[in-house]
Amino acid sequence: MKLRVSKERLLDALQRVQPVIPGKSSLPILSNVLLRAEEGQLWLTTTDLALTVRTRIECEIEEEGAITVSVKRIASIVRELPSGDLSLTVDEAQEVEIRSGGSFVKLYGVSEDEFPPLPEFDGAQAFTVPQAAFLGMLQRVHYAASTDDSRMVLNGVLLSFGEEKLTLVATDGRRLALDEVELEFPEDAGTELVVPTKTVSELLLCLGEEGDVIVRVGESQVAFEFDHMLVISKRAEGNFPNFRQVIPGQSEERVEIERELLFASLRRVSMLQQDLRNDAVRLQFRPDRLVISSSVHEVGQAEETLPIKYAGKELVISFNPGFLMDPLKVLKEDVVVLELTDDLSPGVLKSEGPFVYVIMPMRVS
Amino acid sequence: MPATSSRIQVLPDLVINKIAAGEVVERPAAVVKELVENAIDAGARRIEVESVGGGARRIAVTDDGAGMTRDEALLALERHATSKIRDVADLDDIHTLGFRGEALAAIASVSRFTLTTRRAEDDGGTRVRLAGGKILSVEACGAPPGTAMEVQGLFFNVPARRKFLRAESTETAHIRRITESFALAYPGVGFRLRLDGREVMRFPPGATREERIRELFDPAWVEALRPVEGEEGPVKVEGFITLPTVQRADRNDIYTFVNGRPAQAALLHYAIAAAGEGMWPRQRHPAGVLHVTCPGTQVDVNVHPTKREVRFRDPTRVRDLVIRSLRRALEGEVPAPAVAASPGPPSTQPPPPPLPAYQEMLTPRRPDPTHGASAPEPSADASGPGLPDVGVPWQVLRVLGQIEGGYAVLETEDGLVLLDPQAAHERVLYERFLERGDARPPVQRLLTPHTVDLDAVEAARVRAHLDLLQEMGIGVSAFGGDSFLIDALPAPLSGASPEALLHEVALELEQTGAAKGAPHRIRAAVARAAATASSDRSRRLGEAELQAVLEALVRARMPYTCPHGRPTVIQISRRELDRKFGRG
Repeated sequence: MKLRVSKERLLDALQRVQPVIPGKSSLPILSNVLLRAEEGQLWLTTTDLALTVRTRIECEIEEEGAITVSVKRIASIVRELPSGDLSLTVDEAQEVEIRSGGSFVKLYGVSEDEFPPLPEFDGAQAFTVPQAAFLGMLQRVHYAASTDDSRMVLNGVLLSFGEEKLTLVATDGRRLALDEVELEFPEDAGTELVVPTKTVSELLLCLGEEGDVIVRVGESQVAFEFDHMLVISKRAEGNFPNFRQVIPGQSEERVEIERELLFASLRRVSMLQQDLRNDAVRLQFRPDRLVISSSVHEVGQAEETLPIKYAGKELVISFNPGFLMDPLKVLKEDVVVLELTDDLSPGVLKSEGPFVYVIMPMRVS
Repeated sequence: MPATSSRIQVLPDLVINKIAAGEVVERPAAVVKELVENAIDAGARRIEVESVGGGARRIAVTDDGAGMTRDEALLALERHATSKIRDVADLDDIHTLGFRGEALAAIASVSRFTLTTRRAEDDGGTRVRLAGGKILSVEACGAPPGTAMEVQGLFFNVPARRKFLRAESTETAHIRRITESFALAYPGVGFRLRLDGREVMRFPPGATREERIRELFDPAWVEALRPVEGEEGPVKVEGFITLPTVQRADRNDIYTFVNGRPAQAALLHYAIAAAGEGMWPRQRHPAGVLHVTCPGTQVDVNVHPTKREVRFRDPTRVRDLVIRSLRRALEGEVPAPAVAASPGPPSTQPPPPPLPAYQEMLTPRRPDPTHGASAPEPSADASGPGLPDVGVPWQVLRVLGQIEGGYAVLETEDGLVLLDPQAAHERVLYERFLERGDARPPVQRLLTPHTVDLDAVEAARVRAHLDLLQEMGIGVSAFGGDSFLIDALPAPLSGASPEALLHEVALELEQTGAAKGAPHRIRAAVARAAATASSDRSRRLGEAELQAVLEALVRARMPYTCPHGRPTVIQISRRELDRKFGRG
């Protein structure tokens, strides 16, 4: 195998496939990237057996062939090389030689035969979604997914194709984020699947703003094709809870709040808290003002007052500040809408568009 | 049936003594115990104990106490002859160690016994020799003031009994242990112990309790000792107990005393176990010394012929006091009291450094010359240590990183600390769950209620404690049959699976013995289950999370173990590192 390729292009591709390699594995080969040169393309593949990512870049091939080599090592070497083209040669002894200007590095590779074969894809249905819309939706919902190992089906994002829409949902049992986009596909082609968190992270890293992504849905797998990328992942198993029944139909009070102001206030108030994930902040809605406060045992208290347009009943409700801030971080609109009923009923956060975020209140003793 | 066999007769004294010997003298160590008690009751200042061949061949106890006249000596060997009580009323208020008046006669009846004694004011002493309880000779002799008793050939005339003696080494260990108990109980008395001709213990008289412990305990335990103090009405508890960094496989290193008497009371062991709940793993025990003092009328020592067991008139009160005092000591709510203050004889040596308070444990204890640390001289303030202003000993901690398995490696001024962040996290959560009011975590409502099905036994346990579970923030309600509905959870738990949590709670309730457990134990069981269910061992903590756990751990009342008693930290001092690397 012998080829010339641009350093920038190779580094970019390596960085896209590198996150897939497992943190620790009994199979050392899984920390390698498979490099395959054929028909004017260099294909890079990594896998942790559950998730496989493949990308290709243009290159000048003198001699076709394949090799696997530690992705971490080759990426760190390529990163330090001067910009411009580099040459990559693999000899009979599976030694990978990289030359660029006056630099020369030799790495010991492992034969392609050791690398697990690309999973056979059992894909039946295919949907085409604009990349920018898909990326935006993932960004708006993914953070609500559960991180608890005991609830695998919540460790990911639900993709629900149906009613001429693609709906994305993530929840950890305490809050739920939902976003939708209208989509054209055959009416009988509806389906639901859960994409595991690691695959979602990879998509968030690699998806772009242009073109389409083709989603192929199989029995146990799902594949995403876009640009020069192919992502094949196992689906998360289990039954995703019925998200529609969680979203309250009608709330009693509705208030518009400046997103950045709300975010900044929440951040300041929760400064005292040691454990953003477990402590509560109190929201007091009064005529034309919102008072956010928190009191932390043996530490202190903080309070913020925000001007708002509010004429509803006086309402006091406590939330996990981290949960409340999460969507505010990713939304782009200037104003968000908070819908509330009482201190025990779920709160609903919305913005322009179909985005809905349901958050359960906390009770403070 | 022959007529002779049915005639009832009063047994001769010799036979009675032999029967009594069967109760009083279960093993050679019991002889040592009886003789040492007599010596202490005689006001001895120095006592020497000697044993040969596990005590079966020879036991000798020599004291410098009051001594006896010839007549007294002879009377002492009679059964139920005693100088210690006079009438029945005295039995209710016993101030001496011995009182039954049967020990000497019993021991003498099963051995070759020699008693040599002289009162300081008399010119000459008396020596009485017996064999199998029969007096062989009584003669005047020269002797130092005090009493020496020598027991040879124990059980020589009771072969059945002799066969039941354990291995020499076992009997020797018992003798050693009983002598140690007395040494701890009577620091003012000097003790010497010789085993098979070799001196194994030598404690000078006039010591304080603390000095005795120091001499007796392993140095590593001494570092982990915390003073125990408590008082309620006439009942007083004092002593020392080790933090859970010391974990013993049995209770042999717990010395308990009631009114100065080495005493086993099931109640005291129960109290120690209850106080250590959640600090030691099951079947692990601390080391320590506990003295309970109460008026003689409050305690019955006349339960067991060897007086080994005692009973309290008001067991609940004593037990609760002991539990409270131990908890306070272990959780460090009270400042360390001055432990070295008991007035002893003037000593030319500087007093030993005070026992470390537990907040000190992670700070360097001795100035390290290579480090140039300027710790104050430990003996500068001899009146007592007070609480060193360490506040946050962990300030010196620097997180170096995390290794496989998620363990964190921390650096201190005195070496290394390895931390199990999950164990630490469990400890922090556990204590938060046990808090009341403000400090308890808020309750997070769930988007959808979860139905959890339990098996019948689990369900019964959970059902019995529904109110308590709700009070602790677990929004659980019965849902018919053995099903339960959970619609809210304490915030730190709210990400975990409600199913797993409820199963864990049921399991802990079972292990605690839900039916008869006191409310605080059930509360602790639920908190333990909650802490376990919410910590995720497979997850690696981020740097910020690790820092948060560390900060919370510093404030924990028992930072050294998780709620199940596993350690949260392992400390390796620089000294230890130097030693292991052979740097001397």
